[in-house]
Amino acid sequence: MTDRSDPETATDGGLADGKFEEINWQDVDSAEYTRSLKSKLWAAVLGIWALGLGANLFVRYVMADDLFHEIAGVSIPGVAALDPTWIDTIPGLAVADGWIQFPVLGVVALHDWLWSITLAGIAYYAVVPLYEKPRMRRYYWRQFRKNKAAVISGIFLLVIFLVGVVGSRVTDQPTEQAGLDSIPPVGISIDSFVVGPSGQEVADCSGGTCTGTWEHPLGTTTSGEDILISVIHGMEISMMVGLTATALSTVIAATLALLAVYHGGWVDEIIFRWVDIQLTFPAFFLYLLIVYSIGGSLFILIMIFGFIEWGGGARLMRSEALQRREEPYVTASKAAGASPLWTMRRHLLPNISNTIITYVSLSIPSIILAEAALAFLGLGDATVTSWGQTISDGRAELSRAWWISTIPGIFLFLTVLAFNFVGDALRDAIDPRHAGAE
Amino acid sequence: MKWYILQRIAWSAVAALLILTVGFILLDVVPDQNLQEAQFQAAHVEAAEERRGLDEPLVDRYVSFLVNFFQGDWGWSYEYDQTVWTTIVETLPYSIMYGAPSIILSTFLGILIGLYSAIHQYTKTDYVATFAAFFGISIPNWWFAIILLVIFGTFLGWIDVGFNARLAENANGNLTWLASADDSHQAFVGQEFEGQRQVGILSPANLKQLILPIFVSMTGGIATMMRYARAEALEYVDAEFVKTARAKGVSSWRIVARHIFRPAAVPLATILVGRFLGIFLAGSYLIEVVFGIPGLGLASYEAIIEQDQDLVLVTLLIPTFLVLVSNLAQDVAYVILDPRISYGDRA
Repeated sequence: MTDRSDPETATDGGLADGKFEEINWQDVDSAEYTRSLKSKLWAAVLGIWALGLGANLFVRYVMADDLFHEIAGVSIPGVAALDPTWIDTIPGLAVADGWIQFPVLGVVALHDWLWSITLAGIAYYAVVPLYEKPRMRRYYWRQFRKNKAAVISGIFLLVIFLVGVVGSRVTDQPTEQAGLDSIPPVGISIDSFVVGPSGQEVADCSGGTCTGTWEHPLGTTTSGEDILISVIHGMEISMMVGLTATALSTVIAATLALLAVYHGGWVDEIIFRWVDIQLTFPAFFLYLLIVYSIGGSLFILIMIFGFIEWGGGARLMRSEALQRREEPYVTASKAAGASPLWTMRRHLLPNISNTIITYVSLSIPSIILAEAALAFLGLGDATVTSWGQTISDGRAELSRAWWISTIPGIFLFLTVLAFNFVGDALRDAIDPRHAGAE
Repeated sequence: MKWYILQRIAWSAVAALLILTVGFILLDVVPDQNLQEAQFQAAHVEAAEERRGLDEPLVDRYVSFLVNFFQGDWGWSYEYDQTVWTTIVETLPYSIMYGAPSIILSTFLGILIGLYSAIHQYTKTDYVATFAAFFGISIPNWWFAIILLVIFGTFLGWIDVGFNARLAENANGNLTWLASADDSHQAFVGQEFEGQRQVGILSPANLKQLILPIFVSMTGGIATMMRYARAEALEYVDAEFVKTARAKGVSSWRIVARHIFRPAAVPLATILVGRFLGIFLAGSYLIEVVFGIPGLGLASYEAIIEQDQDLVLVTLLIPTFLVLVSNLAQDVAYVILDPRISYGDRA
């Protein structure tokens, strides 16, 4: 028997005496490929998040309140025996209204679960890579900087985000205060009969007119809520709904588009026939119908936006991925025996990221607008203070207290405008093919 | 091509059936929280359940729902105390009253501005137009409507903040184009004056209160149309045949009209076809709520607030179907008008 291995390159491991096809490359790969600390950490975060949310949902909707029974009319055997009160026996945890109360965090609302994982995802997939690769960071910054409006918009959005997230934590949700209603913003005078009785004491009233006070810099609504605080809380809601629902729809769109492109054939046919049908629906009326019939908590809103909005994005990503599929590196990766998942994640996904970012930048403002419109119609989540809700608050009082509807709208408009500017600049910065002032 | 059109129609039918099914499931199968919460209206609940025949099997209910829907038997509106069909017929003219002018105007203005900005690319006018388009797309038009009401209604006092629906009617309460009426007419409740004033859809008072709604619902439309037209025209501005024409000394007006607009007109025309049918879109819905125009959108909104189930379903399904049909019309028009288009590929 002749020695087939090359003595020059042979290692003293077990590889030297095998033919290429006899070697179990999966073993080799798994032996050599170890996850970095960063990705281990990310996996741990994902695991804890999924466990927490899963437990929360299970306790609330299966143990405390059998949702399945309510809808289908049949009980799952054994569920009745489960009792949420045993959660109380675990140290540190308690049950409040069927929700698990965590140490430090308290009850975590469903939309906050989504919000937190979205922020973690943005940090892991966007902020960390930019931090680790200074050359890439500098390149993008140079491209992005060319567009002054986009830089200003970006700073504005960052401020809105930070003020919203921090401000909603340090201030309480604005509450109705009888009598404090319709105080004008600072520097605005209004006939004193418009302002509520205790508002007249707070505000600067003399000679039949009242002027705004610094105690309520942007004035108060017809039910006496401070508009500044409402606006700050609205910042977080808009950002939350826009980013979270977009993240959800982007994940759905990218996954389905890549699956369709990689497998082709009937997988492609089924997925994109569905997209064809879904895109013929005007989304807004579907939102109205769903929110009307099943209610519009923030969690449901995010879910609806996420699950309805992805069609257009999937179509964009598909046509981009179709071109990438024909590239030699994909063929090479397949020839080398890479699994479908590997090819999609390491070769197709990074190369359609331009399209993904384009889609994200179009989707966020449209979702923010949709949420505001629903809240304006009074179909949003009544337990949170959003911009749309505050705008609708002042609609009946346009001729007397005009500032209630206009001020939150300015923030809404500027935020959407800023997202559009940033999106435009990002498209130019990332995709050199679209240079120019389109 | 025929095959493509047939296929496209078939898919629209599937989509229509699907949206009907979704509507049925949402309002019928899911335990009705709204009805349960409205227990104090016990009579309504009972009547609704009896009419919907909740004791029948699911399939029967579904079939009779579909049959009723296609027969135009859309149920009863408790809020208006009449059939849903009558409510729709009564509200639709008000939606068309501001919707139709707004669509026509915004389409033509949008195309004009877009063409101009494409021909004068990278000039100041182009930047201004592009920025204005950005503005038009970004501004939520229902909030823009509020702003305009505050400026023109509250501060300048040029218009009334409320919409006077009676102004379009004659003395008998029917819609009319133009008529005169004295102060016993319902539009002038609380006013006293000598002689006759004009009422009707085309009367100055009615047109005046329609200006703002038309303008506001135009903003988004113009911006979208302008961007389309600009992008479309830019493809031909540097085309060989335009350069040739310019070299031959063709006047610039003729170049625009015959060499740039002609090829760009095909996709623009299809958009126009689509938009004509899509009069009642998301934006208009909210515009009606803000201005208080008693059209389809306001009827739907009030039905949602008052939990008027049948009216909610129909007022949400009608615009959905209109969009469905307009998408279909747009695609078909595209295939017919432009022989170059390849209709086999979806990408």
